Amino acid sequence: MKLAYYPGCVSQSTGKEMDASTRAVSAALGIELVELPDWNCCGATHVSHELVATGLAARNMAQTDLPIMTSCSICYSNLRAAALRLEEPDTREKVNAVLDKKYSGAKIRHALDVILEALTENDERIVVPLKELRVAPYYGCLLTRPAGLYSPEFPTILEKLIKRLQAEPVDFRLKTVCCGGPIFMPQEKAAEDIALKILSEAKKAGAEVIVTVCPLCHLMLDAKQKVLEQKHGEKIGIPVLYVTQLAGIALGLGPEELGLFMNSVSPMAMVERVYVRLSE
Amino acid sequence: MPGDEPFKQEVLRLAGPEVLTCIQCGTCSASCPTANLMNPSIRRLIKLCLEGKKEEALHNETLWLCTSCLLCTVRCPRGIRPKAVVSALKDIAERTGLQGKDAAYEKFFLEQIKDYGRIAELALTAKFLLVFPQGVVQSMQMGLELLPRGKIGLEIEKIKGRDEVKRIIEELWKE
Repeated sequence: MKLAYYPGCVSQSTGKEMDASTRAVSAALGIELVELPDWNCCGATHVSHELVATGLAARNMAQTDLPIMTSCSICYSNLRAAALRLEEPDTREKVNAVLDKKYSGAKIRHALDVILEALTENDERIVVPLKELRVAPYYGCLLTRPAGLYSPEFPTILEKLIKRLQAEPVDFRLKTVCCGGPIFMPQEKAAEDIALKILSEAKKAGAEVIVTVCPLCHLMLDAKQKVLEQKHGEKIGIPVLYVTQLAGIALGLGPEELGLFMNSVSPMAMVERVYVRLSE
Repeated sequence: MPGDEPFKQEVLRLAGPEVLTCIQCGTCSASCPTANLMNPSIRRLIKLCLEGKKEEALHNETLWLCTSCLLCTVRCPRGIRPKAVVSALKDIAERTGLQGKDAAYEKFFLEQIKDYGRIAELALTAKFLLVFPQGVVQSMQMGLELLPRGKIGLEIEKIKGRDEVKRIIEELWKE
């Protein structure tokens, strides 16, 4: 399978491990990724003008005829929402008037969906089944909203993938609650309060690891975890992996390839447990 | 005092005419992850727009507490997109030259896309701290976390299609 790959801006900075693990897992599953040529920022959650946001997304989508895959739920939601708006002839006309390459339709896929589709039940490429690993499936907002392929409030696709990797999804009440990420710069306290609630809840649910599908969720739960612990005097110590990192571990890929050393809360003790259980 | 009709019409144009069908049920407020900090609530914000109360609708913290999580939008029983109302108000506020740290962040974000085509978090943060020095502690903490892991992009990558991106932003902004 050949897909266009939209890495998104964070692939160059805070989400380097997301990018590395996406490329490594795709290669391991025989999915050929062609990086979208000269891609631009999708506007994230900070471009209020809908038509401008649609135009920025359309320029990206016009660069290829292949289905476009991204690992970032913000990019995914923006491209998908733009593709919906561009179905309206008036919007498409206005946007195409300012584009070099014209937009003529696009199919947008999240890496999560691509990986799940590529893996069969008891796939022999899963050389390190994640036996007994208790995983909190954290969807956040933008994989499932606006409504599309998945239920915006009770999605199950992450649980499906977790089970396919032979791990155990925990019942995670806050799985579709916002992480607070989009406002963390100007509204620090509000954002941190929400992130802390999600981390505490995952811990209460007995998770050994949280899996995310969005670099901003990841930043809030992983990179900010230590600060949240200090501020609230609550020890959390729970690793947070991108879905591509979790799948990569099950596929037997190494920590270097998956960027596991770039995570703030080290997942290495958890990885060790996975290997120990495998040998039991 | 009669409401500001042109303001109301502008909100409806940007956020959709279905906003008129709001029944003030409060599902949006009940779904909002930052509702406890909002004043006015998102439900009340929509009412202010429909009453044409421009000043009250534009000058509040509510707009900047929205995380764009879209839960209000998927739950609204009338098919209204409350988040689109927030976006419309931010857009109107930005056009009228509203000042403040939150508006500044969005402004810098868009400027960076216009200049480079992509976002470089380091440069964006540096610029933001000039208008909001109180954010320096949290930014330092984050920097200390990310730098040793090689997760701060020090170079700004510029895309080739910058002229096209600039045109997209400037031309479509006028619509």
